[in-house]
Amino acid sequence: MTETLVQINNVRKVYQRDAFEVPVLNGITVDVPRGDFLALMGPSGSGKTTLLNLIAGIDRPTGGSITVDGREISRFNESALASWRARHVGFIFQLYNLIPVLNAFENVELPLLLTKLSKKQRRQHVESALNIVGLGDRMFHYPRQLSGGQEQRVAIARAVVTDPTIIVADEPTGDLDAKNAQETLDLLQQLNEEFEKTIVMVTHDPKAAQHAKRTLHLEKGLLVESVEEQAAEA
Amino acid sequence: MKFAKLVRRNLFRSKVRSLLMIALMGAIFFLVATLIQILAAFESLNTGGAGDRLVVQSAFSLATMLPYAHEQKIRQVPGVVDVAKSQWLGGYYKERRNTFAILSVDADKFKTVFPEHKLDDAENAAFVRDRQGAIAGADLMKRFGWKLGDRITLHREIFPFDPEVTIRAVGHHPVQGSILFVHQDYLNETLKWNRVGTFWVKVADPNQMAGISQQIDAAFKNSEDPTETFTEKEFNRQFVNMMGNIKLLFSSISLCSIFMTVLLAAITMSMAARERVTEVAVLKAIGFGRRLILGLMLTEFVITTLAGFAVGVGGAALLYANVDVAKYTMGYLPNFHIAPATAAICAAAALAVGLVAGGLPSMKSANLSVVDGLRKVV
Repeated sequence: MTETLVQINNVRKVYQRDAFEVPVLNGITVDVPRGDFLALMGPSGSGKTTLLNLIAGIDRPTGGSITVDGREISRFNESALASWRARHVGFIFQLYNLIPVLNAFENVELPLLLTKLSKKQRRQHVESALNIVGLGDRMFHYPRQLSGGQEQRVAIARAVVTDPTIIVADEPTGDLDAKNAQETLDLLQQLNEEFEKTIVMVTHDPKAAQHAKRTLHLEKGLLVESVEEQAAEA
Repeated sequence: MKFAKLVRRNLFRSKVRSLLMIALMGAIFFLVATLIQILAAFESLNTGGAGDRLVVQSAFSLATMLPYAHEQKIRQVPGVVDVAKSQWLGGYYKERRNTFAILSVDADKFKTVFPEHKLDDAENAAFVRDRQGAIAGADLMKRFGWKLGDRITLHREIFPFDPEVTIRAVGHHPVQGSILFVHQDYLNETLKWNRVGTFWVKVADPNQMAGISQQIDAAFKNSEDPTETFTEKEFNRQFVNMMGNIKLLFSSISLCSIFMTVLLAAITMSMAARERVTEVAVLKAIGFGRRLILGLMLTEFVITTLAGFAVGVGGAALLYANVDVAKYTMGYLPNFHIAPATAAICAAAALAVGLVAGGLPSMKSANLSVVDGLRKVV
């Protein structure tokens, strides 16, 4: 039986916009097994990015609970959430969000600065993460010296360098051309299959979702269907 | 420190802006350090002077001269050790820009009444012997390249008297190195007034100064020339009080400058922080806590203001160490330099400017919601 890594139980999220309350998630219940590669799809405003943010611990639900690896993160305060994210979550953003004044090596090293690893250990981890994404020869290039695809691969290296429990990706191919998008998705698939990383990915692109093991569709803050990846069924 | 690289890179993220900011801070701290130092020079007048001297002047004003005859009565007051007449002359050497303090004094009393000038015995004797002799402060000797025995002509400022003197002695006063003394007799011989501005009275027991002052003033209370006697510190304070408005002006300029620095720094630092909203959100997302973000940004901003301090105060210290300010201020600012206390005040101000100006944008960044920060561009 597959172990459940993320348990989302009747989660609601309401944003306060001036005098108005805007409900975004209206009672989502879903489990994400360890080693899953889950795609969240849905139209704009359906709540998929909000759900991703809640799973990643960068936002807190208005109601319900979220448990990751046995810990109910929805009860954590901000400081505890920050420490938890540093140890357990790897982030991949649509616009890569690398720090422009740091080179690839230094960008990937950032999450490790929050650990007790020595400089030598940090270097070993960074080098191996950059080698996994195929950028071992671009370590000292700055973001402006890299292509979009390369920047996203550096971002992926930054996401995996701490060996996180879960990787969250928000439209990771949204700003890439077809070739680089394909390479990025292959890389995510490789991380999932070879390194058994649990990945939750938000995407608009059905082709991108095909790389996931499962796809969940959201609409108006509700889960409307769940589609098992064909390969997984096989 | 493992975060040093991040701070350093962010410091020079926009080199032009950082350098302009540091240059601006430097200019302001240069100004503030200079003003504080000038104020300190004024204040030194307050603290200068021996503790065993009284100054007798006219009760009407310092500009009113007293008759020589007062000296004998002053000498008769119990507790008085010695009395020296002295008159402010003012004047300059060769050109008006070479203006410095020139006073006449009773030559034979000088060494007893004003021992802090540390005259060499032989030089003092030569000065006393020569009615047209002069004592020049060490700073003046250096400034004009004078040597003992040099004959110089000074030009009048107040009285119809252009002293032609020979330098016979060098004064080694710890602060007043730009004063020149001539004989009182030489002045009086020329003017034939038998009157003088002040009597400097050395007393045996400093604890008796109040009583001696009262006795001196009482002795002349009903005369045509009543006196007012001060301790030397009180006498000096009159001049500082005359500068009261200047002190207020300088203090106000210093405070306004620092306030201006805070505002300019706050604007620049807010801009710098706003540009990095998404980056801060990313850092927070990957686990950088609120305190760490606050610490990193404040460190960056404080380093900027301290760099401005280093440039400004360091530049001022270097400039004043190599330029004779007395030469350009007609001798009013002898030995002008940036004192460690002034540098410390400016360093504290720079630190405060960094913390105050950088505090708000740093707090905003530290408290930034990750979701809101990422939404800015995503």
